Amino acid sequence: MTRPAAEFSLIRYYRAGMRMGFQREIQYRMRTSMMIVGFMVEPVIYLVVWTSVSEAQGGQIAGFTTGTLAAYYIVWTLVRVFNLAFAPGAWEWRIREGRMNEFLSQPIHPFHRDFTFFAGSKFVWSIAWIPIAAFLTLIFDPVFEWSAVAVAGFVVAIWGGFLVRFLLQYWLGMINFWTTRSSAVFGIFIAGELVLSGRLVPLELMPRWVEGLAAWLPFKWTFQFPIDTLIGRLDGAQILSGIGMQVLWSAILGGLFIATWRQAIKRYAAVGN
Amino acid sequence: MSQPAGPVRLAVTHLRVSALNELQYRINFWVQLVNSVLALGTGLVAIAVVYTHTESLSGWSQPELLVVLGVHLMIGGVLRTFVEPNMWQLISDVEWGKLDYLLTRPADSQLIVSVRAVNVWSSIDIALGLGVVVWAAQEIPNNVTLSGVAAFLIALICGSLIIYAVWLTAVTIVFKTINIGDLMQVLNGVYEAGRWPVGIYPIWLRGTLTVLIPLAFAITIPAEIVSGRVGWWWILAAVGVTLAALLVCRLVWKLGIRSYSGASA
Amino acid sequence: MPHPVDAPVFVDALTKTFKVPVRESGLGQSIRSLFNREFRQVEAVKEVSFEIARGEIVGFLGPNGAGKTTTIKMLTGLLYPTSGTAQVLGHVPWRREKELLRRISLVMGQRNNLQWDLPALDSFDLNKAIYGIPDKEFQQRKTDYIEVMDVGDLVTKPVRNLSLGERMKVEIVGTLLHRPDVLFLDEPTIGLDVSMQRRLRQFLLDYNSEFEATVLLTSHYMADVSAMASRVIVIDSGSILYDGPLSGLSERFSATKTIRVEAPDLPADLSPFGRVLERGQERAAIEVERDQVSTVAGQLLRVATVTDLGIEETPLEDVIDRVFTQQKVEHDPTGG
Repeated sequence: MTRPAAEFSLIRYYRAGMRMGFQREIQYRMRTSMMIVGFMVEPVIYLVVWTSVSEAQGGQIAGFTTGTLAAYYIVWTLVRVFNLAFAPGAWEWRIREGRMNEFLSQPIHPFHRDFTFFAGSKFVWSIAWIPIAAFLTLIFDPVFEWSAVAVAGFVVAIWGGFLVRFLLQYWLGMINFWTTRSSAVFGIFIAGELVLSGRLVPLELMPRWVEGLAAWLPFKWTFQFPIDTLIGRLDGAQILSGIGMQVLWSAILGGLFIATWRQAIKRYAAVGN
Repeated sequence: MSQPAGPVRLAVTHLRVSALNELQYRINFWVQLVNSVLALGTGLVAIAVVYTHTESLSGWSQPELLVVLGVHLMIGGVLRTFVEPNMWQLISDVEWGKLDYLLTRPADSQLIVSVRAVNVWSSIDIALGLGVVVWAAQEIPNNVTLSGVAAFLIALICGSLIIYAVWLTAVTIVFKTINIGDLMQVLNGVYEAGRWPVGIYPIWLRGTLTVLIPLAFAITIPAEIVSGRVGWWWILAAVGVTLAALLVCRLVWKLGIRSYSGASA
Repeated sequence: MPHPVDAPVFVDALTKTFKVPVRESGLGQSIRSLFNREFRQVEAVKEVSFEIARGEIVGFLGPNGAGKTTTIKMLTGLLYPTSGTAQVLGHVPWRREKELLRRISLVMGQRNNLQWDLPALDSFDLNKAIYGIPDKEFQQRKTDYIEVMDVGDLVTKPVRNLSLGERMKVEIVGTLLHRPDVLFLDEPTIGLDVSMQRRLRQFLLDYNSEFEATVLLTSHYMADVSAMASRVIVIDSGSILYDGPLSGLSERFSATKTIRVEAPDLPADLSPFGRVLERGQERAAIEVERDQVSTVAGQLLRVATVTDLGIEETPLEDVIDRVFTQQKVEHDPTGG
């Protein structure tokens, strides 16, 4: 009996995968709601601290007015949940539990599976963010400079930020194929990201040398750049060049990942689990 | 016939067993040290950046803020060393039906579930935090008196007990409906608010952090005692709040016991 | 690149050796091991060779640690061999080429290919996308398999709410949707009740006959192997002990047969005839050397008024057990 030819299409897979990610996250909506409330505490703290500093300095610091700061930290929460990506440490669990066999025997790279899963979940997170944003807006009186360019740019930039961060964490996760004690490395990565991405505070408020350092690293493009885009601090050209940087970093990190993955699998398949 | 062990002896026995168990994994010390230093580092960076832009944050100077950070780290260390492991153990026991067995023992159930487990290496945070407090206190023009130090220590103990009471109350109330991992995440998120003095927050948040989850008494007060911002008599308020928190916790526990038993069936 | 072979599964002198760190006990040794890691070689698979023809169902038998799982992992591309070659459907498995992965299926232990928190139907949809199964075929096969395995009400529940046996049934459905040509099954009937085991075996047999799929299956249930496999490969300590028809297994490994006799006047003491396995008032089962069977049978017929006499092969389970015990006695244990 002849078999009908296979019709594989990556696009179709992405649609199916994202749908599953969405459905799964919807199932756990209680957990998602609690988590986003937990996530909200951090930006509120920063917001309170920085607006009181700003008030003390006459309503402005380094080009940020109190209203702009409020807007920054409200959008912060949405970017924060969009940035949630496959945890580097989860690879250790995968290897130990023998789940790698499952992934390696399928004709699709686990990256597509993991990525689409997370991507699908973002739609649920976005919905969960809306009441948070409304609540914070009522309390903190943010100032946005709306424009079609800003919104359109934001939609691209926030997904671009997610892609860059996903690739970065995915690549870092490869370390688990060589050692089980990787958590200290990730701790350093998270600490560095906190300071260099605009998560702790907009980079303009950091010392000059920190700003300079951040320009060479991918962190800024996952966090501050999308936020700046929506709150209207960037013009069209800056948005475009920022997206370009996201594309560049995606290519770099993607390449690093592919090269490291090959070595990781060679090692895994030589040793087994 | 020997008497059943008194509560203190029981607690010490449990602790010793837990500690000995943990101490085997010496590499965890290094991992914890790295993580603790990183957490402290980012806290210091945050404060440093704030003070490049201003001399005073809602009336708080940099050394005063560093003391708050130190106390936050110390109490956080207590939380991670003594409180959290017991919360996890409690929920695990509920899931596996072991709690019923515990309830038949002659010792007080709340005491048992509160002291059994310990995460030895997290005590690094307590040491680091104390170091920060001592180091920052030097910058503050305030005389160190014996009564001041005593008041500080009492305030720390009160703070630890308040945190313990709030955590256990929360776990007991919601364990049936909410996954404990999620609850811990939310609680830890709120705890982060204690890194800054409660006074800088807007009224609605200040109120929550004084009454609902008294971080004000757990963290800010001890810090203010060191900085000399409040007099030692605030100890009385702290003790009062501690007793109230423990009382509420006890009540909730007693009620919760009734719904715990057989929760696994 | 070796020329593609016709046989769907072709294995030649496949070898896998693991380097296992030597674990010593005691504090002194632990410290020493920090500086000077010692390893020993464990030969999990030693120069294994076999060929499986299209449509054959082969049972892989062996105790734990025999090398069955290692061999299957090499054939599915999860492990590189130390030496030797293999081909599955003309591809070298450890290259993990997509064209190959689309045509095989691996069901290993209780691992799930299905998404834990979602109904199996959703995982099926995902499989459709992974393997590029055309719409019409997908719907047809899905409906058919669900009906045959009787899992209609199970596929709408989240997989985590299913029992082990239910999960296995649903897993099998999912794994055949892309119509693989080679199936690697590891303990497929574990956790299922007897009637379900039978139904699953029938399902696999039907699949095999309809699509001429090649099946390599490992199982601890002799019933699986005897019901489905026409050929058996026995592997122990990394080497093949036997490769041939199931019926030949007893002949090769069992030196004895069992004589069952019924007679109202059986002598009290039957031990001169052989090893007495069972003894009742008017019946007995006696284990006898193969070449003694006709002699003993004749003796029994003379000595009692036999109403029934049967000659049986030793049950396969016992044969296998004996094979492995025998091996352990003959060879030094290499572990692994």
